[in-house]
Parts: sequence; structure tokens; C-alpha cells
Amino acid sequence: MAAIATPQHRSSKTESYVDNKRKEDIRHANIVAARAVANAVRTSLGPKGMDKMISTSSDEVIITNDGATILNKMQVLQPAAKMLVELSKSQDSAAGDGTTTVVVIAGALLEQCLLLLSHGIHPTVVSDSLHKAAVKAVDVLTAMAVPVELSDRDSLVKSASTSLNSKVVSQYSTLLAPLAVDAVLSVVDAAKPDMVDLRDVKIVKKLGGTVDDTELVKGLVFDKKVSHAAGGPTRMENAKIAVIQFQISPPKTDIEQSIVVSDYSQMDRILKEERSYILGMIKKIKATGCNVLLIQKSILRDAVTDLSLHYLAKAKILVIKDVERDEIEFITKTLNCLPIANIEHFRAEKLGYADLVEEVSLGDGKIVKIKGIKEMGKTTTVLVRGSNQLVLDEAERSLHDALCVVRCLVAKRFLIAGGGAPEIELSRQLGAWAKVLHGMEGYCVRAFAEALEVIPYTLAENAGLNPIAIVTELRNRHAQGEINAGINVRKGQITNILEENVVQPLLVSTSAITLATECVRMILKIDDIVTVR
Amino acid sequence: MAIDRIFKDEASEEKGERARMASFVGAMAIADLVKTTLGPKGMDKILQSTGRGREVTVTNDGATILKSLHIDNPAAKVLLDISKVQDDEVGDGTTSVVVLAGELLREAEKLVASKIHPMTIISGFRMAAECARNTLLEKVVDNKADSEKFRSDLLNIAMTTLSSKILSQDKEHFAKLAVDAVMRLNGSTNLESIQIIKKPGGSLKDSFLDEGFILDKKIGIGQPKRIENAKILVANTAMDTDKVKIYGARVRVDSMARVAQIETAEKEKMREKVQKIIGHGINCFVNRQLIYNFPEELFADAGILAIEHADFDGIERLALVTGGEIASTFDNPESVKLGHCDLIEEIMIGEDKLIHFSGVAMGQACTIVLRGASHHVLDEAERSLHDALCVLSQTVNDSRVLLGGGWPEMVMAREVDALAKKTPGKKSLAIEAFSRALLAIPTIIADNAGLDSAELISQLRAEHQNKGCTAGIDVISGSVGDMAERGICEAFKVKQAILLSSTEAAEMILRVDEIITCAPRRREDRMEIFHLFCNPVLRHWIGNGVVVVGGRMLTFKSSNEKPIDFRRAKICSFPIAKVKVLDNNSLSSRASWPLSEGEKEISVRGEKNVWRCHHRNNGV
Repeated sequence: MAAIATPQHRSSKTESYVDNKRKEDIRHANIVAARAVANAVRTSLGPKGMDKMISTSSDEVIITNDGATILNKMQVLQPAAKMLVELSKSQDSAAGDGTTTVVVIAGALLEQCLLLLSHGIHPTVVSDSLHKAAVKAVDVLTAMAVPVELSDRDSLVKSASTSLNSKVVSQYSTLLAPLAVDAVLSVVDAAKPDMVDLRDVKIVKKLGGTVDDTELVKGLVFDKKVSHAAGGPTRMENAKIAVIQFQISPPKTDIEQSIVVSDYSQMDRILKEERSYILGMIKKIKATGCNVLLIQKSILRDAVTDLSLHYLAKAKILVIKDVERDEIEFITKTLNCLPIANIEHFRAEKLGYADLVEEVSLGDGKIVKIKGIKEMGKTTTVLVRGSNQLVLDEAERSLHDALCVVRCLVAKRFLIAGGGAPEIELSRQLGAWAKVLHGMEGYCVRAFAEALEVIPYTLAENAGLNPIAIVTELRNRHAQGEINAGINVRKGQITNILEENVVQPLLVSTSAITLATECVRMILKIDDIVTVR
Repeated sequence: MAIDRIFKDEASEEKGERARMASFVGAMAIADLVKTTLGPKGMDKILQSTGRGREVTVTNDGATILKSLHIDNPAAKVLLDISKVQDDEVGDGTTSVVVLAGELLREAEKLVASKIHPMTIISGFRMAAECARNTLLEKVVDNKADSEKFRSDLLNIAMTTLSSKILSQDKEHFAKLAVDAVMRLNGSTNLESIQIIKKPGGSLKDSFLDEGFILDKKIGIGQPKRIENAKILVANTAMDTDKVKIYGARVRVDSMARVAQIETAEKEKMREKVQKIIGHGINCFVNRQLIYNFPEELFADAGILAIEHADFDGIERLALVTGGEIASTFDNPESVKLGHCDLIEEIMIGEDKLIHFSGVAMGQACTIVLRGASHHVLDEAERSLHDALCVLSQTVNDSRVLLGGGWPEMVMAREVDALAKKTPGKKSLAIEAFSRALLAIPTIIADNAGLDSAELISQLRAEHQNKGCTAGIDVISGSVGDMAERGICEAFKVKQAILLSSTEAAEMILRVDEIITCAPRRREDRMEIFHLFCNPVLRHWIGNGVVVVGGRMLTFKSSNEKPIDFRRAKICSFPIAKVKVLDNNSLSSRASWPLSEGEKEISVRGEKNVWRCHHRNNGV
């Protein structure tokens, strides 16, 4: 607080007196709270960043390095701190990676803003200048970027592995990076080449094995067992697959009904009728040549009964039950078939075809794989393995980040160096630009430039290097025109980072800077917290 | 002997001096609260909700701030109301109206203290307001005839409105967007046909205006993703099964085959319904309620695009823009008005797929897609854009325009001052006070920008002694500048509304000499549920989905038919004042699945699930 209470140098030509103590207290409190959040995730930045262990209120333990996940699980209450959490979420949805970076940048910007405010600069002036600086920064970054082609698989793999290197699963980056690239490239739609819908990439987690066993499956994987009732088949070649949304169980009506049984012989008849009813359905199914059934989970009644499973097994039909309704779209898209909602509509043209459907034992559980799908839709499944739940979850998160990185590259085909190189270059160029500007703007832009140095500084610090030595050395190199000089964390020195294959998509960097600036500007403009209903 | 008590328990009374005092203080406190959001350099407020989730809103919009405040002071409530009215009527100036009323009361307080009767003050205020309004009328510019100039006026107004909001950085982009949208309306003030869709991701600059209509829904599986020359049937009908809604109706059968027959009959009924719908000659069917798998497949087979669960707002708007009617029975195809559009296709915005209807029957319709970093930004952007759209649509009808930046206030103040000098008697004091209150607006704008207001205002006043002066406060450069040159414009209608309603509000508050607070009504029915949840004995019952309210037993079911385990649902942390038992009538329109006889719905705001409960009339 002491810094705030210092006498202010007003910007106006003449003297004026305004009592703004309360507003400044609120602004100060907001900034301090937001910075506290930023500091909490700071140490997880970069390849040598540390992980956090989070114990949630429901006694669940999560170990992660992903900024968005850490912040999401942190239950912050202070409104400004909440905005930083939102910020990392936005980055997650915009670029998918760089969720820690964006928060660290915002924290550094806020720190600089506090200094500027204490000099008596009006918050809106700071806010406007930050916006200008951010626009300029994006220009600089775009100028630095190297265009990349989707056919250039190497570059894509490099950027995916840069993202993976900072995660728990970094030792598997050689495996996961190409996997992520292949997964995304296989779902790129030729009609819309710059759009990737990550929902077309399904990640199936299965405990057991190691991350090494993670594989990309051309086809479908279900984390389910085949129904084993009455010794039904568990492997089917030349499969004809039907996705059904009706139930193979005794009929149930929507109107309330009761069967009145008056004597013993009728009971027998009812049982027989039930049997013949189900048998009738299964015969119809068999008649189309269908030999694999995927049955949607039903909330109204049993999707299948023991009896129907028994008959299905007799008819040599492989059954996978309890398929969620949300998954139906993905499945039908992959299998290139149509869902069937009524037995009357069970026709051969609605079936999907695959070379092989089989149940595979994995660790202690079993999964079902569908391979060799005919005219397969543009979807992909990744089967993630891990030796324990924590590793498995983190592997999934890391893979998601890597997928996002590749998606960014598909959307905006430019690469930029990693390892703090773009930030220090930005800082240098903006610093030079600040000298050309007049008045408050120049001052604020310089502060912005200084704030960006936090990235290389933190990278070095987390890697156990001397941050000051590294940052000054970096500045020096960049001043000499080596715009791609960055921190090589493995060697602990400064090298040309592009040659080291540490690259990231341009979109990650630009969105980190614009989003962080936008968030900081919003925090700056707040002068009161009002409690409402 | 004096009567001790006229009022009920808990009712209270404030008289004379104290009543007036309470009103003044309350009103001024409210005005001071929103004062700092005024002008292009106004600040934002965080609104922190005390309810569940502690949601946070960041806003600069006076109406939004005031709407969400807890207010107990009656005078403050009057101000709140005028800001709400201002919002409904003209959409912008919600802060200004409150601030001006607050300033008028501040001046009035001083006058009352110097022993001037409130009625004298009021008549002075009236004269002053009349004079100010006439001044504005004299000064307005009307460019309706010249369409080019009119458009630039509109752009200027939009930019001026937006410059005080979150969109100020991209105000040119958004001003253009808003003007384009409003111009499509052809003079109608019905903003319904402008749809605003918020999609997180991207930056504010990526927002765009789209001709046509966008529905944030999915197309059913296996159905065409693109339809040209679409004939659309918009409906609100149950597409699961038509239920017999007679309580206790049941069918007795004697064999399984019969049950199967009934089931087939039910299916058949649905098939017939679908056939009837298809019989309308449509190729797109939009339903407000769910479409189950079975009818969905039938539609897919017929090559019809079926969209389920379009929300109420969505289908009303869709019906409006495509020129169709919402149907719920399908027996008379000739009497149902179908909607038309040239093309329906799936588009992707950010990560989401949406359905786009282009070439719709109602040419005015358009959609503004807002993109932004987070929900805070998007919500605030929507509020800002809404303000701009309101003002613009008003201006299209009443094209009179004034300059902004404190210019109208300065002009009015000068004329009112002149009037005060001419008027004999105590009234002149009130008129003078009115002019001072007017000056407060530019003063606050300057103060908010961190400028030296006293210096600037005196300079400005000097400038305004010359007739035809166009000087106002240029906040960006921090000096007195020419408003006409900088293109800072405001709509006459907004200014007039601010002037008149704040004067009226001030007058109303001034007239008050007694405040009677009535005893609060007890709200037993609502609180009861809360107490139930807190009662440890009953919690066992609740855990089993049974709740007793007013001697009736209620069983709870969630929307997916599973009984709710309230112990896991953290029921005690719900904002209980918001739990209410709705009556059966309002239910059928709100629930997406039909309720059977005797079922009631309990809606918990903020929760996605709407719960319904079944009550049995046996006391426990």
C-alpha cells in the first residue's frame, strides 16, 4: 500500500485535487489478487517447469503442468483473480496451448501497470497504450513468423513436440508428437482446409501399459466389453455393423399398462409370447446379414435383456451395449452408416461395413476395436495408455494440447521460434518503438516491452539458470540481429532456437498477447466492486 | 390520549425533515455510485453476486449496475426506475439520467436548507427544464433528407455511444456494424429481428454482421446438411409420444402380444404424426421440444432436415424472420403458414457448428455474431452493442441530432442562466440551481478522465458566451475542442429523455415529506423448502427423493428420469429464495418434456436441470 500512498504527479497542466483513495485501493487489491494467481502457475512454465499436485474437494488428486487445468481447479473467489482463470480458459479454447504463458504475461503486465498507476497515469491512458502495443506486437510476431505447409510433416511434428516437452509425458514426445500430427491431418476436410473440428478426434483412455503403448487407431475403439452372455462371439470378420436406437426387450408402452393373468396356463403363454416377440426381432436383424450390433443406452427401459442377449449370441451376433447417445453421431460418421431407431427400418443399406471387429484384452480390462472400415468418415481415434490414472489423465491433457497446436497450424500456417525468442525480440522492437512515441504512450509501451521479458526470465529461472545473466545475454544477441536466439533449456545456454527445432504456432503467441492485454485492460478499468443479488 | 400504534409490527414511519433527508441521501448515493462510469474514460464496476457460484459481471452500463443492486431506500428506487425506463425507451443515457437527477437533488438540498419551499423549487425546475428543452429544440440538426449525411450522423452517434464502452477500441468497426443492422430494419424499432450470438474465442474485431438467421443447434444425424430453397415448418409439439393426460389412465391386457401391439400402435401414431408433418411439403422441420430417435430417423429417411430443442426465443425469432407460424397441430396443412428461406447450411464459428438460414423472407433480419476473449467481454460487448442499436433505431425515426461531449449541457446551462436573470422572485434561485446541475455533467466527464474539471469548465463556459459555439470537452486530448469537427454526436431523443425524466424524478422525490415502510410480507411457501433441506431428519427423506411441503409429499425426478440424490446435489447451497413451485400452466410451456397429471416443476435458476416433482396428496 505504501507505494500507492505516495503523492501523485498529475498529468494536467494545472493543479486539481481529487480524492481517489478508495478507487485506487480497489484497483490495487484487484491487481495484487490477479498477480497472486499468475505467480501460482509461474513455476510450471517451460520444459523444465514443475508440476502441481491438486487435491480437489472431492479428494481427487490431479498432477498437472497444464495452466488451464491448474487454474480451473483452483477455487478462487476474488473477482479479478477469477478473470485470470477465465483468461486461461479463453486461451485454451482459442489456441489450446500456452495457457500458462498467457497468465504469466498478464501477471507481468499488471505488475508494470501498478508502477505506471503509482506515477499518476490515468488507467484509461495505460489501457489504450497497452492496446496499441499489443497490436504492434502482433505485427512484429507476424513479421518474424515462418510460413509452413501442411505437407511439411517435420515442422508440424517439431511444434507438437515443443508443446509436449513441457509436460509430464515429455519423454514420450517422439511418439506422441507424430501421433498428434497424423490424427489432426487425417481429419482435415478437403472442402474446408483451414478448419479442424477436434471432436472428430476421439481420445480413449485405458489404464494399463505405459504411455509408450499409446496408438492411433484407424477405426473405432470402444472402452467397453463385448457382451459375453451365453457365449456370444467376440471376434467378427467381414462385419456388418448396425447402430440401433431401439430396445430388444419386452415391449413397454408409454401409457400405463398391466397384464392381467387369470390362471396358471396363461402365465406360460405370456412367457412364450415374450420369447417369440424377441426372437422375431432378432430374426429380422439376422435377415439383413447384420452380425455386429451397437446398442444405444436407453433411459426408459432395458436396452437388452438377458433373454435377448442369449438369442443374439445364438444368432452369432456380436453385441456392444450401452453406447451413449452423444457418441452416436461420431460412430455413424466413422462407420459411414445410419442409426436405426425402429426394427421396421432395419435395412441392409443402413449398415456399416468393416473388415474386423474384435475384443482385445488390455491390462485388466477389455476394449473393442473396429478396423478396416469401408468408406470410413474423416475421424480418428487415439487410444491412450498409462500405468496409473494420474499419468493417463495428464497424457490425455498433453495430447489435447498437442492436437490443438497442430490445429492452430492448420488454421494459420505460420511457425515461430520458441524458447523465449519471440518475446525478447518483441521487447526489443517495442522498446525501440516506444522511443519514437510521445507522451504517456511511449512510457506505457516501454513498460509493456519490459513486461514481456518475464517469459524468458521465467523460463531460465525454472530451468535453474541465472535468469538475469540469460536475459541480458539474450538482449545482447537480439540487439546484434539474431532474432531467433532463444534459451536452450537442455544445454542451459543461448542458441539459435529454430535450429534446435523448438517451434510453436504463431497463433499461440499472438493470441496469448492479445488475450492477456485484453484481460489486463479490463482489470485496469475497474474502479469499484459492487455486491449484488 | 394519543393513539400508540396505527401501523402493524415492523412497519415504520419517517416524517418531514428526516424523510426528505433520507430521500436526498439515498438518491445522491446512487448517483455517486454510477457517476464514475460516465463518459469515454469512465470506469467499469465489478458486480459480484452473493448467490451461488459468486458470478462476476464487469460492466460500464448504468442500467445493468442499478438493476442488480440491493436497494432499500425508496428515493434510490425512484432513480433506479428512471434508469430502467430510459433503458427501455431509448436504450442509452441510463447513467446520465441518474447522475443528472442526483445533481438536481444535491442542488435542491441546498435550497431547502436556505428555507425555500420545495414547491417553489419544483416550479423553478419546471421552468428551467422547459427552457432547456426549447434551447435543445432550437439547436438540433436534422439531416434526414440527405441520406449520405444522415448515415454519417448515425455513424457518429454510434461511435459516441460506443466510445464509453468496452468496444471503444474497435468503435469504428462496431459503429458500422450497428448502423448496417439498423438500416436494414427500415425504420422499425423492433430489435427482435436483430439477433446477437455470442461465441467465445477470437477477438472483438472478428465480430461480424450476417444477413439471415443463425440458430445455435445441431442438425439431426443422417439428415441433409444443406438445403436450398427451404420450406420450413416451425413447431412446438411433443415428438416423443403423445401422452394421454388423464390421471390414472391405464390399459389392461391379457397377453404380451397385446402389449407389443400397443407399443406398435404408439409407434404408428408417431409415424402418422411425422407423415402429417411431412405432408406439409416441407424440407426443414424445427421443433422446440425434443425429437426422439424414432421420428428423427423418419425425417432422415424422408430427407428432411429436423432440428430439435430449439429454445423458445430461437423458434419465435425463426418464425418471425422466415415468415412462418409456430404450429402445434398438423391436421390442416393448408392453414399452416410455412417459413421460407433460400439456403440452410451448417457453418462453423470458432469451434462450434451452427445452422445458418440465409435469404430469409423478412429482409430486415440479420444476425450479429460477437467474438471475444471471454464471457465477461462478450456479455459487456452485447450490452454495449444493444445500447448503440437502441439509440440508432430511435434516431432513424427521429433524426434530430445534437453535438456531444458536454456541448448540449453547456448550451442549456447558458440559456437557463439567462432565464434565471430575467425571472423575479425566489424561483430564480431554483432556476440557477438547475443550470449548476446541468454543468455537473461535463464536470464529471472531465473528472473521470482525470482532467482538471474546474479549469476546463470555466474555459468552456467562456467559449459558450459566443453564439453558435460548438465547443465541448475533448477527453482524448484533454482540452476544450470543437465537437462538430471531431464528429461527436448524440441523438436528440436521448438528451430530451434524460432532461425530462431526471427533472420529473427529482420533482417527485422533492415532494416527499413522509416515508411509510410497510411490514414485509412473509414468504412461507418459498422458505419452507429451504428449511426442509436444512432439517437433518428430513434429509434422509430428501435423499430418497421425497420432500414434504405443506403436508404434501413431493417426489423429485430429474430431466433424465433418474431420481435426484439431493445429498450429492449440495442442495443447501442453492439460493433458496429462487426456488419456487410453479403452477401447472406455466409448466407446459417451459418444460421440454410434457408433465403428466399431478406433476409439478421446481426450477432452480442457474441450474441447467429443471426438476419436476410429483406430489401425492397424503399428509406425512
